[in-house]
Amino acid sequence: MAAAAPEIAAPTFSDVDRSVLRVMQAPGVLYWVWIAFCFTLVAIGAGFWTRQIYTGMGVTGLRQPVMWAVYITNFVFWVGIAHSGTLISAILFLFRTRWRTAVYRAAETMTLFAVLTAGLFPLIHLGRTWFFYWLLPYPNERYLQPNFRSPLVWDAFAVSTYLTISALFLFMGLVPDVASAREQAHGWRRAFYAILALGWQGTDRQWRHYSMAYLLMAGLATPLVISVHSVVSWDFAMAQLPGWHSTIFAPYFVAGAIFSGVAMVITLLVPMRKLWGLEDLLTPWHFDNLAKVVLLTSLVVTYSYATESFMVWYAGDPVEQMTFHMRYFGPWGWMFWMMVLCNCVIPLLLFSPRIRINLAVLWIISIFVNIGMWTERFVIIAGSQSTNFEPSQWAFYRPSITEIMITAGSFAWFLGLFSLFARFLPIISMTELKEGITWLRQALRKDYAKAA
Amino acid sequence: MTANSEPVRPAAPRASRGARGFAPLAGNSQRAVLAVLVAAGIAGFAAALERGEAARAWQAYLVNLLFFLGVAQGGVVVAAAFYLTQARWAGAAAFRLAEAFSGFLPLGFLLFWGLYFGRTLIFPWVLHPVAQKAAWLNTPFLFARDGIGLLAMTLLSTWLVRVSRSRRARAWATDSSDIAMPPPAIRRLAPALALAFAAVYSLIAFDLVMSLAPVWHSTLFGAYFFAASFLSALAAMALTAVILRGRLGPANAFTMPKVLHDLGKLVFAFSVFWIYLLFAQYIVIWYGDIPVETFFIVQRVYYAPWAPLSYAAVILIFVVPFVVLLGARPKRTPPILGAVAAGVLAGIWLERYVLVVPSLSQHVVPFGWIELLISLGFLGGFVLCVITGLNMAAAAARWELPAEGH
Amino acid sequence: MSGTVEIIATFAGEEQCVGGIEALRAARAEDFHVFAPIPSEHIEKAIGRRRSPVRAFVLIGGILGVLTGLAITIGTSREWNMVAGGKPIISWPPFIIICFELMILFGGIAAVLSFLLSAQVPAFESLPGYSSRFCGDRFGVAVRCEETEAQKIESILGVAGAEEVRRAQAQPSAAIVDLRDG
Repeated sequence: MAAAAPEIAAPTFSDVDRSVLRVMQAPGVLYWVWIAFCFTLVAIGAGFWTRQIYTGMGVTGLRQPVMWAVYITNFVFWVGIAHSGTLISAILFLFRTRWRTAVYRAAETMTLFAVLTAGLFPLIHLGRTWFFYWLLPYPNERYLQPNFRSPLVWDAFAVSTYLTISALFLFMGLVPDVASAREQAHGWRRAFYAILALGWQGTDRQWRHYSMAYLLMAGLATPLVISVHSVVSWDFAMAQLPGWHSTIFAPYFVAGAIFSGVAMVITLLVPMRKLWGLEDLLTPWHFDNLAKVVLLTSLVVTYSYATESFMVWYAGDPVEQMTFHMRYFGPWGWMFWMMVLCNCVIPLLLFSPRIRINLAVLWIISIFVNIGMWTERFVIIAGSQSTNFEPSQWAFYRPSITEIMITAGSFAWFLGLFSLFARFLPIISMTELKEGITWLRQALRKDYAKAA
Repeated sequence: MTANSEPVRPAAPRASRGARGFAPLAGNSQRAVLAVLVAAGIAGFAAALERGEAARAWQAYLVNLLFFLGVAQGGVVVAAAFYLTQARWAGAAAFRLAEAFSGFLPLGFLLFWGLYFGRTLIFPWVLHPVAQKAAWLNTPFLFARDGIGLLAMTLLSTWLVRVSRSRRARAWATDSSDIAMPPPAIRRLAPALALAFAAVYSLIAFDLVMSLAPVWHSTLFGAYFFAASFLSALAAMALTAVILRGRLGPANAFTMPKVLHDLGKLVFAFSVFWIYLLFAQYIVIWYGDIPVETFFIVQRVYYAPWAPLSYAAVILIFVVPFVVLLGARPKRTPPILGAVAAGVLAGIWLERYVLVVPSLSQHVVPFGWIELLISLGFLGGFVLCVITGLNMAAAAARWELPAEGH
Repeated sequence: MSGTVEIIATFAGEEQCVGGIEALRAARAEDFHVFAPIPSEHIEKAIGRRRSPVRAFVLIGGILGVLTGLAITIGTSREWNMVAGGKPIISWPPFIIICFELMILFGGIAAVLSFLLSAQVPAFESLPGYSSRFCGDRFGVAVRCEETEAQKIESILGVAGAEEVRRAQAQPSAAIVDLRDG
C-alpha cells in the first residue's frame, strides 16, 4: 500500500474520508513482516524479564550507589513522550490552533501507547512484580497504608490517572471518526467499527453533549499533563541528592517531555506520510509548526541547563559542585556533551524555515532529539547517583544485557502497538480535518517553500 | 487609573496614527492629577531620605520598579506571544492593548540606574561582600549586565512595537481568515524578544531579588519571576479592556463578549500557571528541608508579620481568580473581570513586596506614608507614560474590529 | 399517529444547513433533528437548545475527586500514622497533589459518563432519516410534521438550498426518545 496519493488541490470532505480510510484497508505483506519483527523483539524482552523475575534483580547492572538506572530512565522517557500527545490534542485544542487537526490523532495514539509502555517499567523495576498493588490504599489486617508523603505514591496516582484520561480522551475523539469508517466498511470490520462507534449518527443532540464533554476533557487534560510530568520529576527533586534537588525540575521536565514527544511525533509521521500516501493531508505547514514547537522546547531545555549550571556555581555547595564537575568531565562526561549537542545545538537548525519543511532533515533532527533526551534522563538519573555524598561509594553504572534487551523490547512494544492501531483505526481525525478544511486548503495552495 | 468620565478632549497630534486624534484618556485634568501624584512620590522619597528612613524609601523604590517594569515589559511579550501563536481573536485591539504599557520602558530603564545610589541599602553584599560569590555579586558587574540586558529589552521592545503599529501588521491582525504568518520583521523580532525576556528577566530576578538574601538560591526563581510579570501584564490588559469598554461607545472590540472571555481565560490560565511555579518551588524546598533553602520560605510563610501578607498575595493572585473565573459567564461580565484583574495586580504588587522586603527588614513590615507616596508616584508616572499607548488601543478597539470567525 | 410524515433534507454545506434550520424555526416547525459529519457552533446556535448538563456533572465529579483525595490521604495517614522523613502525619503539600490527580480523574470519568448518558450513546436504534452520507460529507435535517404541513416544509427546505428532499412515513415512536429534550 505504498502508492502515492493523487494530487488534490482543494480537498472536499469525501477526499479527506477517502485518504484516511484508504490507510485502513487490508495491509500488505511488508506490514505483517514489520509487526512480526516488533512482536518478536517484544517476546525476547519478555523472556529476559521472565528470567529477571525468576533469578532476581542481580541480572541487571544495578549496584550501589546506582539503584535507579535504565529502567527508570525508560519510564521517564516514555511518560515524557506521552505528554506531547496530550499537549497537541488537548492544549492546542484550547488554543484553537489550526494546524493541530491533521496530527493530533497520531499524537494521541502515541500518548496512549507511550503511557502503556511507561507503565511497564515500574513493574519491571519492582523485581517482585506481583506486589505492585501495595502502592494502592486498601483495607488490610495489618492496617498498613501507602505512604502518601512519598513521591512514588504520587507517581502511582498521577500515571494511572493519566493513562485513564488519555484512553478516554482518545476513544471519545474516535467515536465520530469510527462512525464514518463504519459506513464504508464491510464484513468483520463493519461490525468492529459499529461496536466502537456506539451507534453514533451525528445528531445535533449527540454533537452538543460531545462538544461540551470534549472541551471539558481537554480542559482537564491540560493541567493533568503538566502535573504528571512534574510529579515524575519530583521523584528525583524530593531527594537531597546533588543533581536531583533543584526547584526547576518540574517545568524543566515538562518542557523536555514535550520536546522529546513532539520529536517522536515527527519521527512517526514522516515515514507514515510517505508510506501511506497522506501527502495531501499532512502538509509542510503541519511539519513547520511541529518543528517550531520542537525549537521552542529545545530553548527551554537549554535555559534549564544554563540556569542549573549557574546556580550550582552560585550556591557554592562543594558536594554539588563536585557532582556537576563529574557530570561534565567525569568518565561519562561524553554522554553529557552528546546530550548538549543533540538537545541544544542541533535543534538550532530549526531556526531556518527551509530546514523546518525539509522533511528528511527534520526527521533526522528528530532522531537526534530522541537520542539526546534519553541520554539526558540517563545522565541525570544514573549520573547523579554515581557521585553521591560519600566518595567511597562512587561507582559507575553499566547496563546489562537484560536491561538492554528489555529496553529494545519496550521500543518494539510501542512501535508495534502504534502500527497496529494506525492500520485498523483512523490515524488522522477526519472529523476535525473536515471542520478545519479551510486551513488545509490554504496550506495546500500556498507555496510553502517560499513562505520564508 | 483615571476614573472620572469627563468629556473627551483631542490629544496631542502624535497620539494615534490613523485614528484622527481619538483620545478618550488624555484630558488635561487627568494629566494634571497624574503629575501631582508623581510630584508627591518624589517629595515623599526626598522626605524619607531626609528623615533617616532611606532604607524604607529604597525598598519601596525597588518593589515598585520591579512591579511596573514587569507590567510594561510583560505587555510587549504578550504581544510577541500573540504574534507567535497567530492569535487574532480580538483583531488589532489586543495587540495595541498589550503594547500600550511599553511607554513606561524607557523611564523604567532610567529608574533602574537610580538603584545605584541606594545600593548600600538594597544589596547586603555591597557592604558585606560574600566571598564565594564576589565574582558575580559586585556592583560594577551587576549594574553592567543588568543595564545592558534592560537596554537590549527596551530597544527590542520599542522596535517591535513600532513595527507592530505599521499598516502591514495591522492589516494582518484584522484578517484572521488566512493562515499566513505575520510580516517578516515581526517573525524575527517576536521570538528574539521572547527569548531575551526569559534571559534578562531571569537575570533581574536573580540579581535584584534573590541576591538580597545572598545565601539563598532556587533554580526556578527566574522563570517564576518573569511568569508573574507576564501574568501582571495580562491582568493589566483585562482591567484596561474593562475600563476602555465603557468609554468607547457601543460598538468596540471590548464589548464583544468573546474578547473579554478570552482575556479572562488568559488571566485564569496564567494565574494557575503562577501557583504551579510557586508550588514547584515550595514542595521541593519543604521536602528537602535544607536550612540554607528553607529560611527564605519560613520567614515569609510561617511567621508573623509576613505570613498574612503571603497568604493575602496567594488569595488575590490565585484563589479569587480560580473560583470566580472558572465559569464562562463571570469572564464575560465586565465588572467581575475588572475586579478580579485589579485584585491580581494588587496581589502581584504584594508578592513583589513580600519577595523583596523581608530580606531587608526581617521583623518589621514597613508600610506607611513613605511606601504609599512612592507607590503612588510610580503609578502616576506609569500611567503618564502609557496614555499614548492606551489611546492607540482605544482607537484600534473602536475602528479595527476583528473579522468574524476564528 | 396517522398522517405524520418525516421529511428528510440533505444539504451539501454547513451554511445551507444553518439556513434551512433558521427557515424552519421561523416557520415554527420545531420538531426536527439535524445530522452533521462535523460539530458546528453555527448549527448549535441556530438550533438554540439548552447548554449541555455535562458541565455540571464534571464540576461535581471534580469536587468529589478532591473530597475523595482528602479522605483517602488523611484517613490512611491517621490509620497508619508513622512519621516518615520527619514530615507531619497530615502534611498538606503531598496531599494536595493526590487531591488534584483524583479531581482530574473523577472529572474526566464524569465527563465521559455524562456524555454517554445525555447523548444516549450507545444508541441501538437508528434515528429516522439517518443516511450513511451524514457521517461523511453531507448535512441532513429530518423534520416530523403532519401530512398537511408537509408541502410547506418541503418548499421551505428547498428554498433554503437543500440538495435533496424526500418524504417518508413516520415510524411509530416507541423506541425513539423525545428529540426536543436537552
